[in-house]
Amino acid sequence: MGDPSIVKIVGQKNYAKLRSVKVLLVGAGGIGCELLKNLVLMEFGEIHVVDLDTIDLSNLNRQFLFRQRDIKQPKATTAVRAIQHVSNSKLVAYQSNIMDTEKFPLSWFSEFSLIFNALDNLEARRYVNQTAQFLHLPLLESGTAGFDGYIQPIIPGQTECFDCTTKETPKTFPVCTIRSTPSQPIHCIVWAKNFLFSQLFASSTSVATDEDLGTEDPQEIERIKQETNELHELQEYIKSGDNSCIPDIITKLFVSDIEKLLSIENLWKNREKPTPLHNFEISNQLNTDFSSVWTLQEQVNAFAEVTKKLMKRLATEKEIEFDKDDTDTLKFVATAANIRAYVFHLPVKSLFDVKQIAGNIIPAIATTNAIIAGLSSLASLRVLNLLKHIPPTDPKDLYMAFTAKASNISSNRYLSNSQLATPNPRCPVCSIARGVISLSTSALKSITLGELLDAIRTKYNYPGEVSLVDKSTQRLLADFDFDDLLGKSLSDMKLGQGSLLLVADERDDEEELKCSAEFYLQLDATGNKLRLPEIEVLSFKPQAMSPQEDEPDYILNGNGEIIIDEDNGDSRKRELEDASEPAAKMAKLDDDAIVLLD
Amino acid sequence: MSSLCLQRLQEERKKWRKDHPFGFYAKPTKKADGSMNLQRWEAGIPGKEGTIWREGVYPITIEYPDDYPSKPPKVKFPAGFYHPNVYPSGTVCLSILNEDQDWRPAITLKQIVLGVQDLLDSPNPNSPAQEPAWRAFSKNVKEYERKVIDQAKKYVK
Repeated sequence: MGDPSIVKIVGQKNYAKLRSVKVLLVGAGGIGCELLKNLVLMEFGEIHVVDLDTIDLSNLNRQFLFRQRDIKQPKATTAVRAIQHVSNSKLVAYQSNIMDTEKFPLSWFSEFSLIFNALDNLEARRYVNQTAQFLHLPLLESGTAGFDGYIQPIIPGQTECFDCTTKETPKTFPVCTIRSTPSQPIHCIVWAKNFLFSQLFASSTSVATDEDLGTEDPQEIERIKQETNELHELQEYIKSGDNSCIPDIITKLFVSDIEKLLSIENLWKNREKPTPLHNFEISNQLNTDFSSVWTLQEQVNAFAEVTKKLMKRLATEKEIEFDKDDTDTLKFVATAANIRAYVFHLPVKSLFDVKQIAGNIIPAIATTNAIIAGLSSLASLRVLNLLKHIPPTDPKDLYMAFTAKASNISSNRYLSNSQLATPNPRCPVCSIARGVISLSTSALKSITLGELLDAIRTKYNYPGEVSLVDKSTQRLLADFDFDDLLGKSLSDMKLGQGSLLLVADERDDEEELKCSAEFYLQLDATGNKLRLPEIEVLSFKPQAMSPQEDEPDYILNGNGEIIIDEDNGDSRKRELEDASEPAAKMAKLDDDAIVLLD
Repeated sequence: MSSLCLQRLQEERKKWRKDHPFGFYAKPTKKADGSMNLQRWEAGIPGKEGTIWREGVYPITIEYPDDYPSKPPKVKFPAGFYHPNVYPSGTVCLSILNEDQDWRPAITLKQIVLGVQDLLDSPNPNSPAQEPAWRAFSKNVKEYERKVIDQAKKYVK
């Protein structure tokens, strides 16, 4: 391949190093495709690519390694196949979930020198971040949404981790607003999608289980169920498949239910009253333009038509899930939301707009992805200390980068860099001790929870009052007030290879507490019954850790990020605010956006 | 559940053990395998002395979302619970449990259960959640009180 241009940048000696480096790329989507191309051109020795997903038509505008013929094919393997012919690196693809502990045990991660995150969800980002902390592996975190994007190098133990700052999560709406008093178009869309559509067409979720009802009288239970299941009547209409009941459905939703709300006068003391949809008529005049705002009559006509269609489909499909690309379900949700918007005197949206909101579509821009992937690849050379003219980098001299102009952070520059912050001492992820417990298969059956806890107590000097949580399945296994399970063996409690146990000091009123420790269980074939890792578990002063003790004021900044208001006015706090803004924003935009509370 | 959520729930359990108001109980529910689910708690709210609610200890479930404490927990009475601010499904409408209103991450379990206890005898007529109790409360106090006292017998201390 001649003398690759990367040699000019890193020098012959570092090039040799680069050729021996093995990196992990998590995600082969928008940023992932760009990154894979960059890493291949940089000639990393080995590049392993993991992606769970398959290729969708809507990916093709920016995920340039994929073509029309690749639709429905796995992203990871397709991306590798597409770039193989120009690659001087060993490429390995996996179509799997990175959080699959059987396929990807901790030992598998430990073979890499560096991890690149090119993910689209908070859960996997957190998981990889935690794994990087376990193995002290540098991680290059990245994300984009529209014109915004960021990279954050994470050097475990030395710089802030992904969870050192609170990430904004999708907004939820209180049930009162959705059911009774919508005040924005989004409230009507959430009502139509998460309440109406799912109750009528998606899997029939029973509203309450018998044990919740507080009575054993079967008649009483039946009455309560009828009452709680407000859409019972409608479900019957829909199931009947009888088209003639469509006017009844419209009457129930947009007349009688609204009249019921109107009869609760107090709701409307400080609000504009809704207007029930009296005297509606259904005609066959339909609008087919998805980008214009339809008239009320067109909404009603389309609602009637699409309900008819969905009823027919329900007879054969049993249940229908909302899918933004399923025109019937989109039309139903859009027209129901819009009619409700008319009733409540709220702005009405085009079908196209409803699709964006209900389908939770984030604009993805190829250029932003390319810029962010480029920054991520460049930063990797600094993290690995491979740049010829730059002396070895202290992690604190590394920078995160984010595009700033689009987010109005700065009016005169597109890109902002801020120095990495040191780890947050309160961070629940990177402030705790970590290690691997290895044990034999037979030990799983013979060792009890109590014995394991005793061994941990003795080894790391924990007090009697500790709690034990299985983090992989989120179960509390023991604490000060709960010792029922201590006699059970580890296998009784389904603990084994890949389980993650968290031990925490639960004492009260102590000057100093032991830090929590997280242990990864690894089966050991060499015959060690039980081996605890040689790690140091430090102590801390609890006042600083427990936000409720000193009741600080929490301030939510514009991104929903919590800033603890303290008077120390140190520069770190300011840095944190600045640096974490785009990250917080990303987390919000990349995750599922709408959650209904009831 | 994020690590922050877990850390905070353990903290809540510790604080409750150290200090909780008289007559209340709160504990995580048990899963089928005997372990505890820190994201779903059961609690009992005693009616205040000197009110029509005094005879009962009312069971609630408290569900903490994965994003707690950024997001508030969801508090539910049994379905069909008779109270103007309780939805037919049992969901409680209370401003401190509403992200858009008064929820703050620093609000503790103790403050929540005390808030729910306050709500029992001082319903908010401007935030009706069910028709029967709301109507009786605003139009027919006698009937409202009788129904509340009847209900208290079902959850007698």
